[in-house]
Amino acid sequence: MKTALTIVLSLLLSAAPAWAVLGEYESSVTSDQQYLHGELRAMVREGYSLHQITAANRTVVKEYISPAGLVFGISWQGPTLPNLQQLLGSHFAQFQQASQSQPRRRGPLVLRTDKLVVESGGHMRFFHGRAYVPSLFPPNVPVEVVQ
Amino acid sequence: MNVGKISAAKFVLALGLSAGVLGLVSCGGGSSSSGNTTKPPVNNTLAVQVDLGPANTLPNGLFTDVTVCVPGTTNCQTVSNILVDTGSEGLRILSSQISLSLPQITDNSSNALQECVSFADGSYVWGPVVAADLKLAGEKAASNPIQIISVTPSFSVPADCASGGGANQNSVAALGANGILGIGVFQQDCGSACTSSSSQLPPMYYLCPNSFCTLATVPLTMQLQNPVWTFAQDNNGVLITLPSVPADGAPSASGSLIFGIGTQTDNALGSARVYTTDSYGNFQTTFSNNLAYTSYVDSGSNGIFFLDPTTLGIPNCTDNSSFYCPASTATYTATNKGANGTTGAVSFSIANADALFNANSGTNAAFNDLGGENPGAFDWGMPFFFGRPVFVGIENMTGPNSVVGPYWAY
Repeated sequence: MKTALTIVLSLLLSAAPAWAVLGEYESSVTSDQQYLHGELRAMVREGYSLHQITAANRTVVKEYISPAGLVFGISWQGPTLPNLQQLLGSHFAQFQQASQSQPRRRGPLVLRTDKLVVESGGHMRFFHGRAYVPSLFPPNVPVEVVQ
Repeated sequence: MNVGKISAAKFVLALGLSAGVLGLVSCGGGSSSSGNTTKPPVNNTLAVQVDLGPANTLPNGLFTDVTVCVPGTTNCQTVSNILVDTGSEGLRILSSQISLSLPQITDNSSNALQECVSFADGSYVWGPVVAADLKLAGEKAASNPIQIISVTPSFSVPADCASGGGANQNSVAALGANGILGIGVFQQDCGSACTSSSSQLPPMYYLCPNSFCTLATVPLTMQLQNPVWTFAQDNNGVLITLPSVPADGAPSASGSLIFGIGTQTDNALGSARVYTTDSYGNFQTTFSNNLAYTSYVDSGSNGIFFLDPTTLGIPNCTDNSSFYCPASTATYTATNKGANGTTGAVSFSIANADALFNANSGTNAAFNDLGGENPGAFDWGMPFFFGRPVFVGIENMTGPNSVVGPYWAY
């Protein structure tokens, strides 16, 4: 593990974890404070930092933040599909369009463009996925870290 | 958006009362033991068919007919082209496809219970929960909560419900089916996560007083049920059998959805091996790159969805970009591992999906080699089922050799 520093902020159920939006500044977003309730862990990794929110219903959302403070990736896993409209922010419309224009597919959804990658899959009671903006990755941080 | 927390606390009492007042839902009352039935055997086999479905748009759609009745009456309707889905729980039927007037499940203020279900790709369905007697072959599920997918909703779709990015599947064209029969490894669609407001409620069940929908806590018995475990017999799981199909596909394939595991002569485990799952319904698949992936078996997925084009070295299709299009058919091996430690290798092929969909003048529908990307997990969809009997063991139910679900066996 490359964890240099782990801060566990045990937030009460009613507390408000900061929830960032893909492509926006971590510190700029405070609008979604009620959606996920649970424990927030902030971790510093090599070349980026990671905020992990574990909701009371066991769904885990991770936010990957560049040294410049921008959210370059997010991931989710657990029994509930998180609110992707909130997580994806301005990228949601593009994802929405892609998700509704893939004929013949019944299964996981992958949107893969040069500017945005979104993957969403799973089954009832288990959802997994990730989204990232390739151009926002810090130097020398591979795509695989977002998971 | 604090409505969930506030409303949940308020609705616990209301629903608690209504369960008694309504007396509609008797499912779950049966014995949880199974396997050694003392009842005379009933017809436990429902015919299933793989074709393009009622919209003529869904390759590897697995369909059956279900008969639903007004509870306690012989007022029944058979609905065809219901998608058989091992990746969900509960019966959902488009409102356009059912003419029966089925009693709504309400709280004791007569607010009808509504449900939203998000699927993994972000698409969703929305509509009221009603009670129906289900007849599946010779098996009966009495007063089973089912969902009517609203073509024209009485209430606006809650924002949290539509936030997955996908389409509202409220038409045959969008759903690719007249409904969905969820017969996965769980007993209910939500489970304990929806019964208490002490944890955050999933955005699934709602009550809509004054046309404003808020999250509701719902007892297990009033949630949508995997109908199988509520049968009087043959209730510990199902077996799906489908024939093998040629490499370039077939226009259709006919098979069986058999209720019960080891309960009759037609559903013995035989040489099938049991892979128990974790609490999410998942096991583990290790691909030839030696990386392990979370995995599941899902007849509602129409391909084997795994890895990505870069890792596999095969491109996505030009015309059907959700699927792989290798220049020539690729063969792979993966090793599945159950939570119980059972391991076994599976070989499968991925063909060029653009070519598959054009073969036989575009009339083929059943493919054992259709696949697409899914970097986060290994989704054993419909191709896995052809020529391979697959058992679905339901949670808390006992199967042969005292194995308790959830598990897959094949």
